[in-house]
Amino acid sequence: MAHDVTPPPEVVCTSLAKTFAGGTEAVRPIDLTFAAGRTTALVGPSGCGKSTLLRMVAGLENPSAGRIEIGGAPPRATLRRAGLSVAFQDPSLLPWRSVRGNIELALTLARRKAGASEIDQLIDLVGLDGFAETRPAELSGGMRQRAAIARALATRPGLLLLDEPFGAVDELTRRQLAQDLPRIWEARGTTTILVTHSVSEAVLLSDRVIVLSPRPAEIVADIPVDLPRPRPEDAARTEAAGALIDRVFAELSKGMAASNPPLAAQ
Amino acid sequence: MRPNLTRRTLLGTGAAALGAGTLGLTARPASAQTAVSLQLSWLHSSQFAGSYIALDRGWWSEAGLDVSLLSGGPNAPVEPPVVSGAALVGISAADYTAAAVEQGAPFKILAVAMQKNPFVIASLPANPVNEPADLVGKRIGMALANTPVLQALCTLNGVDINEIEIIPTQYSAQPLLADEVDCLLCWETDLPVAMAMQGVESLTMLMADHGYAVHSQTYIATEDSLANRRAELVALMSGEVRGWDAYREDTDAAAALTLEMYPDAGLDLETQRLQAARQVPLMFSDLTDANGFGWWTDETVAANIETLALLGQTVTSDLWDRSILEEVHGA
Amino acid sequence: MTNAAAGTGRPLATGRRGAGGYGPMLGVLVLLAGWELAGQLLTEAFVLAAPSEVALYLVRDWQLMSRALGVTLGNAAAGFVIGNVAAVALAGVALLWPRSERVITGLALLVFCLPLVATGPILRVFFGPGPGPQIALAALAVYYTTLIPLLVGLRAAPDSWFDLVRSYGRGPMSALVHVRAMAALPYLFTGLQIAAPAAFLGAMVGEFTGAERGMGVLTVRAIRALDVEMTWGLATVATAVAILAYVGIGALARRVLLEAPPVILAAPAVATGRRLGGWIDTGLVILLALGGWAGAIWAFGLNPFFAKGPGDVLDALVFAPDAAATRATIGAALAESAVYLIPGYIAGLLAGAALAILLILVPAVASTAMPLAIALRSVPIVTTAPLIVLLLGRGAVGTIFLVAVMVFFPSFVACLQGLRQAPGQVMAVFDSYAAGPLARLVRVRIPAMLPAFFAAARMAVPASVLALTVAEWLATGSGIGSLMALSASLSDYDMLWSSVVLVSALSALGYVLVGAVERRVLAIYAPEQLA
Repeated sequence: MAHDVTPPPEVVCTSLAKTFAGGTEAVRPIDLTFAAGRTTALVGPSGCGKSTLLRMVAGLENPSAGRIEIGGAPPRATLRRAGLSVAFQDPSLLPWRSVRGNIELALTLARRKAGASEIDQLIDLVGLDGFAETRPAELSGGMRQRAAIARALATRPGLLLLDEPFGAVDELTRRQLAQDLPRIWEARGTTTILVTHSVSEAVLLSDRVIVLSPRPAEIVADIPVDLPRPRPEDAARTEAAGALIDRVFAELSKGMAASNPPLAAQ
Repeated sequence: MRPNLTRRTLLGTGAAALGAGTLGLTARPASAQTAVSLQLSWLHSSQFAGSYIALDRGWWSEAGLDVSLLSGGPNAPVEPPVVSGAALVGISAADYTAAAVEQGAPFKILAVAMQKNPFVIASLPANPVNEPADLVGKRIGMALANTPVLQALCTLNGVDINEIEIIPTQYSAQPLLADEVDCLLCWETDLPVAMAMQGVESLTMLMADHGYAVHSQTYIATEDSLANRRAELVALMSGEVRGWDAYREDTDAAAALTLEMYPDAGLDLETQRLQAARQVPLMFSDLTDANGFGWWTDETVAANIETLALLGQTVTSDLWDRSILEEVHGA
Repeated sequence: MTNAAAGTGRPLATGRRGAGGYGPMLGVLVLLAGWELAGQLLTEAFVLAAPSEVALYLVRDWQLMSRALGVTLGNAAAGFVIGNVAAVALAGVALLWPRSERVITGLALLVFCLPLVATGPILRVFFGPGPGPQIALAALAVYYTTLIPLLVGLRAAPDSWFDLVRSYGRGPMSALVHVRAMAALPYLFTGLQIAAPAAFLGAMVGEFTGAERGMGVLTVRAIRALDVEMTWGLATVATAVAILAYVGIGALARRVLLEAPPVILAAPAVATGRRLGGWIDTGLVILLALGGWAGAIWAFGLNPFFAKGPGDVLDALVFAPDAAATRATIGAALAESAVYLIPGYIAGLLAGAALAILLILVPAVASTAMPLAIALRSVPIVTTAPLIVLLLGRGAVGTIFLVAVMVFFPSFVACLQGLRQAPGQVMAVFDSYAAGPLARLVRVRIPAMLPAFFAAARMAVPASVLALTVAEWLATGSGIGSLMALSASLSDYDMLWSSVVLVSALSALGYVLVGAVERRVLAIYAPEQLA
């Protein structure tokens, strides 16, 4: 099967900032480069602005200042050739389409083609075998999120943006996905940005963890994850992984503490 | 649109062509016919059967007119299509025409089909209203809008309207039959006919016999048409005159023709026969016997002006224009 | 932005999985038995024909009736299609150019509020002989009740669905095709379901303007002729057709849709925060309405004898020597009408809510009451107005009843859906306190019902005015409906147009006022609807 697989782009954010119309400052000016073909996790307390950052990269939100370049071009250009996929926090499946129908819709929208067997493989991959023709209303929350992940992968994007994609997924499936997904994006060489508030997930899945402060988001720490791949299920229990996880936790707490005094002073 | 009419017209034309052929004449091609419309004042029924006869027998097409008879209805005022030119002639009544003229419509009355106004007071034999004085102390069912009509009748006959209890009802015989009222203000030709068909005998007191002189079923046209479309008006009206004369000769046939031409109107033959017969005395009189259908005189116009004044309408004899009728009957 | 409470209610009106299929049959049987009894008792009164008599009549005259039905149904169908296509087109414009939405809905409301009594003759002059006015009135009767739910439906999708479309680099067109159109379908079906009986009514009223055949023509004939069997036969056939159309569209909707069509729940278009914008839009609506009115008279060369422009009406109401008398006449007629309208309107709303509450407390009643409610709603008012007034007497009762019937059904359906929408978790909390059904009703369900109740109340304003003016015109001969009919017959077109302007403006104002009350209530009970 011939696919126009988009080569993984490098994503460069320069002095990127976002202040909403109401005056809420979501993201302080940030300089950040997401390396091509690598997976970067964004970790931070909830409501810190990490989703806003992701939406700006996806071209769904305009930055108030600074700019983003994906493979040297603005996000709009990437959007135009459907060079990225987003798996949203809310699975956003259209209720009148089956799991397969939702995946096919993404392909239609992205003007891509995929064979039925490829779609079946994806559905199997996210553990929904047997549910291809099921409508979202009859799926559990976790199953819907998995369907959304399958949909995001279907268009073979060069840039994959995942916004807390495992929020509603049960622990067992989550573990399985943590095994399977990196294999896909490694094989494809996808640039992946993963927003999560699970520290261990961030460490296990990514090549690098960026820790963000509470709102407005600022970079608190930039931690390379040099664990060998593939990372088996018990990789989190290795000493190296434990140290990394502890470090991310420490940076997170530091970030929280830094933002507390002004709150307490109020 | 009107399959029956089309078929009839075709048959008529065919017959005319045949006849013309034997006489060695050329039939008038259909395209030479001038299309004109006659706006009726109510739904199709034998109320307009004279016109149906004229149409059916091809008297208009002989004269080069392709006449459409436009149905009226409860929400179809006659005056607007005549003013706008959509209809050459409309069937109105002197009071409605006077009101329209007061509002600026340039109408003239060309002919009067109902010499006697069809308004009656209908009552039941057990509790009859034979003359206006009988109204005193009675409950009368009528539309409030017709209060001026009752007022005029009272004034003409020296009856105090305050002695009559007016009960606003819809236009139906039902309140009389249910004994909610003692009498009804209605037309000679509709509610009493409906009661008769239901087997209820009723009495009617014709208001025209007690001084209420308002020409009804009058033919109206605009001054502009009178000035510029005289030939068509004359042709249309002469067809009407012939049609109504034929109607008078056989009202049963006229009723049958009505049903034949308008099978979808939901008409009942017996009802139509009765209605057709009952309107003859309203339309024909010594006056029309002497001068022809639709005629009026200065005296009848003067009486109309007097009654209209009682209805609050100031008109002059200019409202009537007999020139078309004179041409029709003179010819 | 207006938002919709997505209809998650159970399928209405059909008892698809109703407990026991005998309920609806029972309802129909009860209705028929009561009717037969009343008909037999009232034989001498010439107001009511028993079902057996009606059936005999229909067997005897089925050919006439089927020809008339064919004509009216054809016109109604044409008007239904044209009106709904127009609604879809208007919704499309509002979607592509959001700035125009409030002006479009404002103008649409004004046109929808034009009284049938007055528009009929004008349409007849405009179209000439033929089915023009019938089709036009049918179209006018349906477009608004489709437009409003459709506008809601086209936006009744979460933002993330649109994000999804954008994230693949596709624009508003793809969003329309893949998201909005499908999300709007349930709302469209809701509109179509309401539209079907309305189109039939519009076509019948159109026939009063001088049609040669059709159900409306036969109705006039039958009532005049005291032909009770024919009158009730017509009412029966017309009602049956309206019910079939209603149920048929509902069945189609259930085949196509995943959930039941929602109740129309549009937060009122007024006051979206920016006061100034609201005033500008209102001004624009008025300007466009006046301009369109004057422009149409000019463009079509309508005769000034009957086609009065804005200037003429202003003159008649303000500057003419008899302006005070004109105002007094219209004012008196309006006051007379208000006496019937307001009690009927309120009674209808409350009756609808009360029946809905009863069904929640005693669910067994549902399958019996529902068909009765639909039947009551589908009876075309032009056939029944004279009958009901004859039956209930000429006093206030008949007219108030007619208005109430028109308001009752939308209120009932909306309230039922609202009551069933009570949030499950809140109900669970009440369960945990072992609260009885009454406590749940008062504390949870009724508050949850309020948004739907007010949406219905708002949409019922034009419907109640229609019912009242038709009843006054055809039956009671009082009030503004009668004044308009009388003005037309006496060629007093200044009076007619002035009345039309005032009736339309007051109806629209009533709609807006109910909308304002609605917003205040929603702010307390359902703030999410105003977001």
